[in-house]
Amino acid sequence: MLATQLKYDLIMFSRELFYLIFSIIVPPVTYIFMGQLFGEDTYAGGLSYVEMYTPSFIILITFSVVFFAFGFDQVMNRSTGVEKRIGISPVPQRTILLSGIIKSIIITSFGFVLIHAIGMVVYNLTFNPITFLVSYGFFILLNAVLLVISSAVYSLFRDLKSALIFSILIFQVVMFTGDFSLPVAQMPTFIQVIANINPMYHVNHLFIDVWNSQLIFNNDTWTSIGVIMLVFVAALIVIRWNRRKV
Amino acid sequence: MKIIDVKGLEKSYGNLQVLKGLDFETNAGEIIGVIGMNGAGKSTFLEILMTIKDYDRGDVTIFGHNLKGISMDQLISLRKDISVVLQPTQFYKSLKVEELLRLFKAYYQSDIEIGQIIDDFQLEQHRKSFFEKLSGGWKQKVSLAIAFLSEPKLIILDEPTTGLDPHMRNVLWSYIVDYNQKKGGTVILTTHYMDEIELYCDKVMLIDNGVNKIFEKTEDILSLGYRSINDFYLSKV
Ligand SMILES: Nc1ncnc2c1ncn2[C@@H]1O[C@H](COP(=O)(O)OP(=O)(O)O)[C@@H](O)[C@H]1O
Ligand SMILES: [Mg+2]
Repeated sequence: MLATQLKYDLIMFSRELFYLIFSIIVPPVTYIFMGQLFGEDTYAGGLSYVEMYTPSFIILITFSVVFFAFGFDQVMNRSTGVEKRIGISPVPQRTILLSGIIKSIIITSFGFVLIHAIGMVVYNLTFNPITFLVSYGFFILLNAVLLVISSAVYSLFRDLKSALIFSILIFQVVMFTGDFSLPVAQMPTFIQVIANINPMYHVNHLFIDVWNSQLIFNNDTWTSIGVIMLVFVAALIVIRWNRRKV
Repeated sequence: MKIIDVKGLEKSYGNLQVLKGLDFETNAGEIIGVIGMNGAGKSTFLEILMTIKDYDRGDVTIFGHNLKGISMDQLISLRKDISVVLQPTQFYKSLKVEELLRLFKAYYQSDIEIGQIIDDFQLEQHRKSFFEKLSGGWKQKVSLAIAFLSEPKLIILDEPTTGLDPHMRNVLWSYIVDYNQKKGGTVILTTHYMDEIELYCDKVMLIDNGVNKIFEKTEDILSLGYRSINDFYLSKV
């Protein structure tokens, strides 16, 4: 049952232009394009474009997949009545959820490999098996945390239109305050304030550190871990609370 | 054999009490029509029987299981024997008809061949169409085909024929009657077409003011001297 559900979940993803564009098209294209503009620059911590933005764009893909193809998709199924129809069928809720989670991990892993491959072809990124594996392990952990947050956030929506507006909005916020394309350090103070409470900004930075084997447990790192944990725990509470209502 | 037994069923949405102590029962093999004005609570009642809606008071027993305090595993095994057509019916919009059949076949762990269902319900023409793109009548037809995939003991249909042309109505009814006669399956449905009640239903329940105002055999109602079920209905509500 799980295999069949997963197969069709992946087929549906591949047919949904909105998901494809935001997850597998926009991030890689931006990655290439930005590199053409700023490829020679040096970034905080002495990182080159490839070192800074390869992990960033992997996280951006992960964000799009987990929030749109996984989270927003749940609202779509809820608002159109599909969720109800599935609910009457003898398929356990956990099978549907598990399939959604595996689907996201497959697609985000594809994004991981895709960005890495583009980096190797276009920007001379070298393949280092150890850092690749460590990064991938950490990436799966971040995936799990984001899946929980996304579940909680989208469980609050019943109506498709508000969920769509919200999704477009958070995509903008994440693009501009997550350090994904425009360096937050060079932006006005209020953007920097938003960035600091934006968990994606912290996810991004932790992943950049791990990717470049630069993770040290200083104040910044603890702040990042703290913000992510706070949102994660809040998400768990929301999920709990929502479950009791049913 | 009694397969559904409902006693004193009550259900409110906030301050609005929709069901106020409804009694109902079904024996295996019956076709039962539920009628009533818009907003009378027909869908609410059916969704409680489908096990997807909570209720406030009363007892609902399906296949011998009381729904109060039933475990999730028992509920899932109960749902294997029940098929439904919802109002309105929705499925994953970006799957094709055949893909939907395969997915639901997996849910119900059914042995039926997909080819067989496609033949039986004459779906060949739209086998590769997206569900979203089908007309209302075709959606109902696919929905009914999916409902029959599992060879259910009980099938619950919420206004399956509303909005269909007479031809399509006929086609759907021929499947329902066929299933009832060949498999001995039980059918509970709502409709606004009184001719359907007269032609096909063994019993009819009229929900009015939250209770089963009438719950009788169709032939008994006609023998009271009403010219048709339509006349009967109009005289009661
Ligand atoms: N989820 C809900 N929340 C609040 N009110 C509802 C809900 N579902 C139905 N109702 C109300 O309950 C009444 C009965 O609805 P329903 O069972 O759909 O009637 P019917 O199917 O007979 O037309 C209507 O007044 C409807 O507005
Ligand atoms: Mg209704």
